[in-house]
Amino acid sequence: MRKYLHCLKVIFKNNWTREVIYRSNFLSMIIIEIIRLGVTLSIFEIIYSHVDQVAGWTKAQTYFFTGFLFTNNAIFTTLFSRNFWNFSYLVNRGDLDSLLIKPVHPLFLALLSKVNITMLLNAIFGFWIMKTYAEASGFIGGWRWLEVIGWLIFGSVLQTLLRFFFSVWVFWTERSNSISRLYFKLYELASKPDSFYPSTLRFTITLIIPLALISAVPTRALLFGLTLTEQIQMGLVLLALMYIDKKLWNKGLQRYQSASS
Amino acid sequence: MKHWMWAALKNGLQDSMAYRSEFLIKIFVDAAVPAIVQIILWYAIFDLGHQNTVAGYTYAQMMSYTLMTVLFTQVRGGDHDFELAEMIRTGELSPYLLKPLNVVDFIYIRGVAHRLFVSVICLCIGIGISVFTELSPLRLIGGMMLALLGNLIHYQIGAALASVSFSWEEGYALLMVKNRITMFLSGELIPLFLIPESYAWIWKSLPFYLYVFGPSQYALGNWSHHEFIIQFSIGIGWLIITSMLTRYTWRTGIRHYQGLGG
Repeated sequence: MRKYLHCLKVIFKNNWTREVIYRSNFLSMIIIEIIRLGVTLSIFEIIYSHVDQVAGWTKAQTYFFTGFLFTNNAIFTTLFSRNFWNFSYLVNRGDLDSLLIKPVHPLFLALLSKVNITMLLNAIFGFWIMKTYAEASGFIGGWRWLEVIGWLIFGSVLQTLLRFFFSVWVFWTERSNSISRLYFKLYELASKPDSFYPSTLRFTITLIIPLALISAVPTRALLFGLTLTEQIQMGLVLLALMYIDKKLWNKGLQRYQSASS
Repeated sequence: MKHWMWAALKNGLQDSMAYRSEFLIKIFVDAAVPAIVQIILWYAIFDLGHQNTVAGYTYAQMMSYTLMTVLFTQVRGGDHDFELAEMIRTGELSPYLLKPLNVVDFIYIRGVAHRLFVSVICLCIGIGISVFTELSPLRLIGGMMLALLGNLIHYQIGAALASVSFSWEEGYALLMVKNRITMFLSGELIPLFLIPESYAWIWKSLPFYLYVFGPSQYALGNWSHHEFIIQFSIGIGWLIITSMLTRYTWRTGIRHYQGLGG
């Protein structure tokens, strides 16, 4: 454990040095993300200018959800996003070789070696939106903000597992651009509260491709609470995804051709 | 059409078809998922929310709009402008400067082959559907022409923005910002008639609505032929302005080109 913490410290230090050098890059990434948030909020603003509620969700509740989604996404982008973009190159070009011989788990380095610390600023924006609409959305606040942090960790872990599920196929395919593209398009399904969806699709995005568990269900848990069955389901989905990812990773490694050797 | 233009078009089509499974997944993903997201939104507003109309439009009208946008969204955009920015940044532009062709036109023609192919497929699907519905095949063809004109305008704007890379390494950021704004103001994410009248000047004073919203409105019969001709002429006007802008920005930008890495 100490070894991993030390690695993480070095990774953060190195990445921070790089970010300080390439300041304009990270500034532009923040601006892009803010515009993305602006577009999402504008869409909801337009819709709520015509209706009071959508599937029982008020404007404040939807904004609270958007804040949670944005925060969650910022955490994921900070820690993992760049590494997932690089993942297919690791396999295709054989760069994974150098990670396989290191004395830490190869996935630790494959998924965490490039972090975008500046993107954490976006998490602050997201949190600010949540805070602004918390009271109007019926979130009681106080100690329950700790619960928000817990759900953010859950959502980020799930998002990572899901993204990995869509990336690991690069061991079998020549190019993984389309599969990554599929993930990002499907991720749009995570950008709406799950109550908006018809029951079949809701079931699919909760239990089969659990995109709703990234932000929609956690927000629902914070605003309205979850039943015991739902909580058990969430735990089981998380464990199942972990198991499937592990199996696929091991199978993938068996197929790995080590292109650079 | 010059010989290199045909060659670039043919080359671009072969390139996009080289990985057929990727090609099919791309078309499916680009078409289906955004449409599903929009359909869900209408379901939540109308069905779950028991609304009869929103901004004077019924559930059926919103669904028709969404399904129609699927056809035209496939023709919108492209990442050729990103390619230009990357070429400037990495110095890969250098070899093209020695060739007897216009690099901005070359990248577009090579990249647009995929969109042209997809537009033919979309048009065939649309005309196929029109046999069983009240849709007019002529209006669909007109809509597709407007969408293709929109694609050209989109590229010219992108190419002008890509020229920022001559002096700023992160020029691609502007392209990403442009794409986000375009997605919203083209009518792909939400029908533009839902935007309150006090803000309607924003989308009306930009060309983005000609990419998806305009073609859909004409194909659905919401625009008269007269209105279509006016809008098409506006599109031509935008194309002339943006082409001139691209020529100007590249002519001035190239003076700062350092060819690093090329």
